[in-house]
Amino acid sequence: MDATQLMRFLSPTSPRRLRVIENILVGKRTVSTLYWGMRYHQLSWLGYEKKLSREVMDQAVHNLQTEGLVTVEQTNAQLTQQGAVEQQKLLQNSYQPQHLKIRLVVDVETFWQRLLLATQVVSEQSYQNRQYYPLQTSWQVKQTVKRWFRQFHGADLQTVFYNFWQDVFADLPSDQASFMSRLLVGHERPGDTLQQVSRDFQMSETEARLMEVDLICQLAKLVSQAANSSINALLAGLNHSLVSASANQTLRSFMAGESLEVISRKRSLKLSTVREHLLEAAIMLPLEQFDYQRILTPELVAQLESRLNGFPLDEWQFKQVEDLPVDFWQFRLLEILRSKKADDKH
Amino acid sequence: MISTEQLYQTLQQRFGFSRFRPGQLEALTALTAKHNTLAVLPTGAGKTLIYELYGAITQQLVLIVSPLISLMQDQVTTLNVKGEKRAAALTSMMTYSEKNWILRHLHEYHFIFISPEMLSQDQVLSAFQSTQIGLLVVDEAHCISTWGPDFRPEYLLLGQIRHQLHDPLTLMATATATERVREDIKQKLQLPQATEIVQPVDRQNIFLSVERFEAQTDKEERLVELVAKLKKPGVVYFSSKKKANEMAELLAAKTDCKVAAYHADLDSETRFKVQQQFMQDQLDVICATSAFGMGIDKNNVRFVIHYHVPSDVESYWQEIGRAGRDGQQSVAILLYQAGDEQIAAFLSEETVPQENEIHYYFQQNAPQVAGDEKANLIWFYKQHGYSEAQVQNSFASRREQRVTALRKMMGYVRTPDCKRQYIQQYFDQVQDVATNPEHCCSSDEAQLDFGVLGLLATATPAQSDQSSAEWPAILKQLFNF
Ligand SMILES: [Zn+2]
Repeated sequence: MDATQLMRFLSPTSPRRLRVIENILVGKRTVSTLYWGMRYHQLSWLGYEKKLSREVMDQAVHNLQTEGLVTVEQTNAQLTQQGAVEQQKLLQNSYQPQHLKIRLVVDVETFWQRLLLATQVVSEQSYQNRQYYPLQTSWQVKQTVKRWFRQFHGADLQTVFYNFWQDVFADLPSDQASFMSRLLVGHERPGDTLQQVSRDFQMSETEARLMEVDLICQLAKLVSQAANSSINALLAGLNHSLVSASANQTLRSFMAGESLEVISRKRSLKLSTVREHLLEAAIMLPLEQFDYQRILTPELVAQLESRLNGFPLDEWQFKQVEDLPVDFWQFRLLEILRSKKADDKH
Repeated sequence: MISTEQLYQTLQQRFGFSRFRPGQLEALTALTAKHNTLAVLPTGAGKTLIYELYGAITQQLVLIVSPLISLMQDQVTTLNVKGEKRAAALTSMMTYSEKNWILRHLHEYHFIFISPEMLSQDQVLSAFQSTQIGLLVVDEAHCISTWGPDFRPEYLLLGQIRHQLHDPLTLMATATATERVREDIKQKLQLPQATEIVQPVDRQNIFLSVERFEAQTDKEERLVELVAKLKKPGVVYFSSKKKANEMAELLAAKTDCKVAAYHADLDSETRFKVQQQFMQDQLDVICATSAFGMGIDKNNVRFVIHYHVPSDVESYWQEIGRAGRDGQQSVAILLYQAGDEQIAAFLSEETVPQENEIHYYFQQNAPQVAGDEKANLIWFYKQHGYSEAQVQNSFASRREQRVTALRKMMGYVRTPDCKRQYIQQYFDQVQDVATNPEHCCSSDEAQLDFGVLGLLATATPAQSDQSSAEWPAILKQLFNF
């Protein structure tokens, strides 16, 4: 995270909550973080920078402030006019990620570790070399790749990998292909570090990292569609659900028709937790995969809308409707529904 | 009884060498005669060969206690690459099930690396108690000495642990130790009779140089100049990660060299790449922090430059020991700017808890924050039955020792007399001045032209063609097409 990257997440038309932006990047799945992350179109960045510290975040804010690009009130920031101009320049002149969303359903970090190590193993095999330093990865990744190699080593991996990478690079813009090829590790080729590549491509390290992650996401998508079983096998077990495991369990019971009270009793969860699970699911899943009507009856929606129509979504206040027979979580669910109907691209 | 001939045979067959380096055969002979041994061999003199060969020849389990957790995995990999697959590191980074698996299969291993903290855990200790240990190695043994700069209290348990392991044959290994530290090591491990193998710490092929600066910009300029003109590869040490990063950028921008920073903050992919580029001569210069060791053994490092003053002579000597392991002429240059000792003093002092901190932590229960080193340190003493007064006393004297250690380091920087003599005196190994190499140190030859030493870069740096290659060429090379 640097000041430039922070600008990406801010808006010139309304103040945004810095804590939400930070929590999304760190990967906190609280309902309020996810809700505002959805409103800011930032959900695909969930957990993008797990080690982001408050100090780094504050520094980025401070830098933008000093340059007159944002105004900050308490912990909300808004782009100034000049900031908006800079943001436009940034969007035009720097790398724009397009595939980050796949991170929400695939552990791309582990996938890349596996693919990188597999590439090295196959490269060394192509030279019949058995004495080399393998990439240092987690124990799990090492074991997986070992098993993988045992299973496929007779399958002419040399050609398979050569063709695979060739197809990948041929389809990429040439600078991106060159960027990524230099990260690969193999026989007598330790590979370049991200910092070295970013230096040669005259990018900041933050931007280079974004390009790397986005390219890996693209690769993960490609590999999931790959016909070749050896390449495909590198993704095994790396899928996860859009919703956290516990929330997913709640969701399944809910969609099977169980009442919230029953779910709460059966799973020994507080009722408030069950509700949070459902809100998380509603935020993360496509509109049609959540049964809104069971919680928001048409009458309730009509009642609420008579009060709220005419106000922009982000200005809705619970106190506008609190005298009605409605809980805050139902109000929030209506907000989610509205947001999704307004734009599906979250 | 293993004969000298057998030792030579194994050396040849397994390691491909026909001769031992100084000290190795002596240590092996002592060990095969079942003498506990304290070996003081300079960095890069092949300490590891001693226990590797002993393990290979006796086919017994070698248990290596090491403080360098970040290096253990590298050490295992190095053994793997040499063909020894039955090696493992037991570290806190492992999952519970991995650790258990290894503990249940100890008999399948020849080499196990472990930290003293891990070894003192009941479950771990009892697993080792019921297995036959052929050789216990206490690596970096100076860590056990309260007189040593890297003192680690967990090492104090080792004397006791060794008894619990039924007093296995023990090798204590260290790169640099004064007489006082050597006595302390033997006493703390309760092995006063151990055989000592002491090799001279002096490295005759390293020219010792100190340069002084008034302003930081002058020092930076000089660093750029040195890196540009000296024969590569080289290592530059810094006392902060931030400075190492900054200077790596500056050097990359201002010289033709391929430069990378190397410190504990790097992710494992980057660490691997930097290490391997350096090993394969695709990197000219590494900007490293002293706190972070390097799990690589590179013989042809031509210079080690210190941008900051280390906090003691031991660290300095250990770090410059990376230069010239091939015996060829090399140089160690310390760039000193007036006031640098305050940074060193601060960093050195920071590692030892202050009076009020000790008091505070003594009131606390188990450390609240993972990685709070001071809390862990005090907790260790508290757990092992020390009173606050005892701890206060011991840290007070430790602080004094750190001050003295830095003063000794500054003595090296400032002495107008021979730097080599100074080091020899420090390590109680004074030799006749007549044995000094022809070109010895900056006190003798202040304005020495590095050309005289043959240390000027002759051609442009050995840039790899990696960076310029396009992806089709990279793929062809990777998959041998
Ligand atoms: Zn001298």
